[in-house]
Amino acid sequence: MIRIETEPWQVMVAHARRTYPNECCGAMLGTIDGDGKNVREAIALDNAFEGAQAARYELRPEDLLKADKAARDRGMDLIGIYHSHPDCDAYFSTTDLQNSCPWYSFVVLSIQKGEFHHANSWLPNVDQTVADKEELTY
Amino acid sequence: MAKILIPTPLRQFTGKQDSVTAKGATVREVLDALTTQHPELRKQIFTDEGKLRSFVNVYLNDEDIRYLSKDATATADGDTISLVPSIAGGSTTAAPPEEVTLSKDEILRYSRHLIIPEVGIEGQKKLKAAKVLLVGTGGLGAPLGLYLAAAGIGKIGLVDFDVVDFTNLQRQVIHSTADVGRNKIDSAAEKMLGINPHLVIAKHEVALTSENALDILKDYDYVVDGTDNFPTRYLVNDACVLLGKPNVYGSIFRFEGQSTVFAYEGGPCYRCLYPEPPPPGLVPSCAEGGVLGILPGTIGLIQATETVKLILGIGEPLVGRLLLYDALGMRFRELKLRKNPECPICGDHRTITKLIDYHQFCGVPQPGEAPAAAQETKVNEGEIDVREVKEKLDRGDNFVLIDVREPHEHQICNIPAAKLIPLGTVAQRLNELDPEADIVIHCKSGMRSAKACGILRGAGFKHVRNMKGGILAWSDQVDPSVPKY
Repeated sequence: MIRIETEPWQVMVAHARRTYPNECCGAMLGTIDGDGKNVREAIALDNAFEGAQAARYELRPEDLLKADKAARDRGMDLIGIYHSHPDCDAYFSTTDLQNSCPWYSFVVLSIQKGEFHHANSWLPNVDQTVADKEELTY
Repeated sequence: MAKILIPTPLRQFTGKQDSVTAKGATVREVLDALTTQHPELRKQIFTDEGKLRSFVNVYLNDEDIRYLSKDATATADGDTISLVPSIAGGSTTAAPPEEVTLSKDEILRYSRHLIIPEVGIEGQKKLKAAKVLLVGTGGLGAPLGLYLAAAGIGKIGLVDFDVVDFTNLQRQVIHSTADVGRNKIDSAAEKMLGINPHLVIAKHEVALTSENALDILKDYDYVVDGTDNFPTRYLVNDACVLLGKPNVYGSIFRFEGQSTVFAYEGGPCYRCLYPEPPPPGLVPSCAEGGVLGILPGTIGLIQATETVKLILGIGEPLVGRLLLYDALGMRFRELKLRKNPECPICGDHRTITKLIDYHQFCGVPQPGEAPAAAQETKVNEGEIDVREVKEKLDRGDNFVLIDVREPHEHQICNIPAAKLIPLGTVAQRLNELDPEADIVIHCKSGMRSAKACGILRGAGFKHVRNMKGGILAWSDQVDPSVPKY
């Protein structure tokens, strides 16, 4: 299960509303205790997709490398990635799955008509064929 | 010795160490040494075939090894190697279907696919999970619809509001003679379901417009453009770019065709190739210029092949390349297509962020307006009704009737009293005509003759009129024995 603290949660929702009607993306830093993950900081990252971003996002590996470094420096870990689905439910799409990585939690925020609607967290498998839903609290 | 930084989730496989040192002269050797020390890590980084997994980027110090010598990049003591995931996504595609399964019947049906290693059960399931929108069920849509249905695409949307007519049958092989007069969408759906009853068809019996395009396209993973007019082509392109959906494009004219995949993974779009439409009337449609009946089969099947490749994720997609086909020379050529950084819809400084009025953009009248106007009996100034031309002929009026069509059209049908001066030669042959004479000009439907009227009037001819509706109207209203084409 993954818990997102209030402050990072507000950062994520504000980011998703700001980029609407485009998708946003970012990194979640925090700690892992057994199966429980605790997100303490959210870092908004650039959507680097070179095309219309209404339904696509891409993270620059360099940005993730920096986020990972920042986490290590602050005694945390990079534990998840978030992105938004404008006017679309918070499912894990085929595109999401085929471009995912099994090492992290993937939080998807559904933004409907510019306002936060609901969110889900997903755990893709190593072959990128299935993503399991992860219990999410915020 | 190089140091490898281990991402948090992988530390469970390295005894909780956040970095591991391993020996090797190249990145590949270091990673092999690492996964020999920690075998459980191997599955996370390499596929069963030993290739780096698609989501793993390897950085040597601060450099992506893809831009160095890939996994043959040399390493030195003190180097740091980082494993950085490559992550992207988007809501372009719908939620993955809960469970796509193939029934015993389907396994038998698709057996010739299943035994190709590149397709297999997984590939066939991808085809079944795919949702493809076909814009148009005409020349290109016919082979596309038949073969995509047979191949096992799960859901196909059809957009068309036209009715089958006799002139379609020479190439639109999805419709048969008995279908003339039927809605194309019903006729096409029936044939496709006849081939494959497992297929789900969504019928969108409307003209695609700026108002409905996003709504219709959003439910599909791939859009295949089988349209024959510029406004719809730009509309499909723009909607695909805005929604981030690949646009599998094809076009045909007489003996030549083109195909490419636009708007795929940030690749070029139709506007990168053609920022502006040609002036109205410059590029004739199939109805105006004709088309070899077999040609849309060839081009439509190239589009179908590309669609299936994209769904399966195999081969080299026709992205950034425009394939040109010349049936007379029986040659294929390829042009490199580049993304235009100044493209108004997919470039760096976008000026188009929503769908526009494409009929205005292309300078052509709204559909619906033109046919409706043609039906009306109202004859505008400078025009003359076909029945009045007939009366003038019957009365033996002193006037000149000019046919500005091409000689091969004249052979199909003609009005015997008319003098043939093809539009392209009108300007040079003005000396054959009397500027004071009463002149009536006709063509097939009235477009080219309107241009010819303009040329004559511009040259000082005083009494020039356009025969409204051309020889098609003549056949309808004066002489039904004149064949229509």
